[in-house]
Amino acid sequence: MSGTATHPRSLLWLSRQESRLSWRDLVWLMTAGYRWRGRSVVIWLLFVTVVMHLIAWGMVGRYAQVGLSAGLESLTAITGSIGLAFFLMMSQALEQVTRLFYGRGDLDLLKSSPVSLRRVLGLRVLSVATSTCAMTVFVAGPFINVLTFEGGPRWLCGYGVAIAAGLGASGIALVLTSALFDLMGARRTRLASQIVAAVIGSAFIIAIQVVAIVSIGTMSQSAFFHSESVIAHAPDLGSPFWLPARAILGDPVPLLGVLLIGVAMFGVPVLLLAGRLGDYAMAAASADHALGHSTRVGFTSLFLGRFRMTSSAALLRRKEWVLLLRDPWLASQSLMQLLYLIPPAIFLWRSYGETQGALIVLAPVLTMAAGQLGGGLAWLAVSGEDAPDLIASAPITERRMILAKVQSVLIAILLVFAPFLIAMAGRSLKIAGIVAVGIAVAATASTLIQVWFRSQAKRRYFRRRQTSSRIATFAEAFSSVAWAGSAAIAASGSWVAIGPTVIALMVLAGAWIIRPK
Amino acid sequence: MIVRDMDSNRGSGGTDSALSVKGLRKVFQRPAVDGLDLTIRRGEFYALLGPNGAGKTTTLRMVAGLMKPDAGSVSIFGIDALAVPNAAKQITAWVSDEPMIYDKLTPLEYLAFVSGLWGVDPKLAEANARDLLRWLELMPNAEERCEGFSKGMRQKVALAGALVHDPKLIILDEPLTGLDARAARLVKDVLLEKVRQGHTVIMTTHILEVAERMAERIGVISRGKLIAEGTLDELRHQAGTKESGTAGDTSLEDVFLTLVAEEEPLA
Repeated sequence: MSGTATHPRSLLWLSRQESRLSWRDLVWLMTAGYRWRGRSVVIWLLFVTVVMHLIAWGMVGRYAQVGLSAGLESLTAITGSIGLAFFLMMSQALEQVTRLFYGRGDLDLLKSSPVSLRRVLGLRVLSVATSTCAMTVFVAGPFINVLTFEGGPRWLCGYGVAIAAGLGASGIALVLTSALFDLMGARRTRLASQIVAAVIGSAFIIAIQVVAIVSIGTMSQSAFFHSESVIAHAPDLGSPFWLPARAILGDPVPLLGVLLIGVAMFGVPVLLLAGRLGDYAMAAASADHALGHSTRVGFTSLFLGRFRMTSSAALLRRKEWVLLLRDPWLASQSLMQLLYLIPPAIFLWRSYGETQGALIVLAPVLTMAAGQLGGGLAWLAVSGEDAPDLIASAPITERRMILAKVQSVLIAILLVFAPFLIAMAGRSLKIAGIVAVGIAVAATASTLIQVWFRSQAKRRYFRRRQTSSRIATFAEAFSSVAWAGSAAIAASGSWVAIGPTVIALMVLAGAWIIRPK
Repeated sequence: MIVRDMDSNRGSGGTDSALSVKGLRKVFQRPAVDGLDLTIRRGEFYALLGPNGAGKTTTLRMVAGLMKPDAGSVSIFGIDALAVPNAAKQITAWVSDEPMIYDKLTPLEYLAFVSGLWGVDPKLAEANARDLLRWLELMPNAEERCEGFSKGMRQKVALAGALVHDPKLIILDEPLTGLDARAARLVKDVLLEKVRQGHTVIMTTHILEVAERMAERIGVISRGKLIAEGTLDELRHQAGTKESGTAGDTSLEDVFLTLVAEEEPLA
């Protein structure tokens, strides 16, 4: 304990402890525990900040002069953006609140101590709200700064809206978690909340895209918010629905209203539920102990449930599939990526019978999704191996083992994307073929990057897999983007596709050269 | 007999030693294993003791093929484990203090997976698996996922996995850590039964009573080197703690502390 006059177990003492833990957690998230990475992280953050400001400049710089007398079109676009950010914040906050009850960490120590659990958990909920607000400010900051620079200090009100939204999202997350505990019990809440978080995180953008496809035949959210049909159905200019948008535009009265609503959305649930937080934590701990008595293994037991003569490679593939199908954390993380495939599927369905041009739009979406999903699955199969010693002590070469794991990932990708390819083949065999190649190479490239940069970790750290190697994360992202661009251009029939293909190959070659040896 | 023999463990191969390690060396920041020589006879229960950081785990990991040595040789039943690792692994099992099992698999699924990796005939593997689960009192949990199992249950599943392919050499690194008395007794019974069947066991442990009671020979390792080896009586002589003419012999704990203190005097 430090030498200050803070009284042990006081609220201030606890909050200092919580802040220190949160700060170290954040530093670990960025540096993966390597001290030498500290300076690199600072340089990287500065670089990201500059890049984000440049991107923000390109995206919103021209809107800086939109004034308080903005019309419905501007208010709709601003409100849509706030809605999108708010749903993402809610998803993030819901995951954090759930982790608060199920992450064992020091909770057992705190539960066994004479410190008020209600007080500790209350503080941790506040910490969730703080981190949600901080993340929102970090992401929205560049946009607000650019608008302020171009249009004057009234845009600084955007920070107030960001904080109010963060508080509101955290409050709703707490209410949702509490409702899940009450409705489903502690044993099912963890998985349920992960799925709800994934659905919430993607629901808004997917809903907008689906409505946009159905109503105006495009997947573009921007076009949707500016479309005549949306503006025609929008509330009147005087409606309180526009309060957040007006607050962002610099109107102080709506800003005050939004802040009050945000504080109330967070404060009321905390006050009402504070007494039950300890019960939830205890129930979550009991649920963990009861887990082993589950006998349900479902259809996945068909993969591994029987003793049969098979090759070790086939056995490893089946083991990977069983673990992938039974992993709740993976379910939540991958569900988001899979949900984003819903709009392309609807787009495909809607455009069936129309021109082939519509299919070209899908090429980059599917290729990108395959690259990202492939990277995630490859990390789980290769780096997230739960019994590395068992595999290493088995009479199977490392090369064969890795090959089997890569195959398991690629076959899983094939199964996920096959329905799309079959549907596309019905319209255009050529484009379906190009997209199939795009999916295969993007997924293979991401998988190879994960193999080259493999680093043993626990499967439960899947969410933080990027911390083990920033290079792998960015190589995977750049590779997927380049292959997506290549697939899009190739689908349109242009030889220019060679350009992004060369870039993608260079990214892959670069990753191979600098891979850990 | 808890596991059906797949072949005879005694008398196979052209060497008397189950494990022969020569000049084994591994350096991290400092030498973890420093020119270690070790020979373990067929059908022997051998305990490898040493203080924390002495190099026990590193040695066993190199023997099991989990880590490559910087220098030296490892021969398992006459097979050069560094030149043909898979042939050596085929007759070896590794159990660590941290049970290496899959939370999302049931014990039966885990054993099906492990026996498949070692290429065991399915019928024999299933019979072995059921025998082991019954012996280790895991049969009631055979169809449950391992994720909620206690440390003891997990360790028993890991041990069953190690034995399901009927290995000739069983390497165990602190297998009794965290086990309750009943689970520890079961594990010890299984290991003694395997030795009776002719299998060879090498085990590290900090529970000196276990080594004293179970091991035929004991090796003491310190700073990556074997500093003493032999039966308990031979170790007493080496340590100079044999109290000839007195009513009782000194315990392994006293012998061990004396040997280690000579090598690693307190600062």
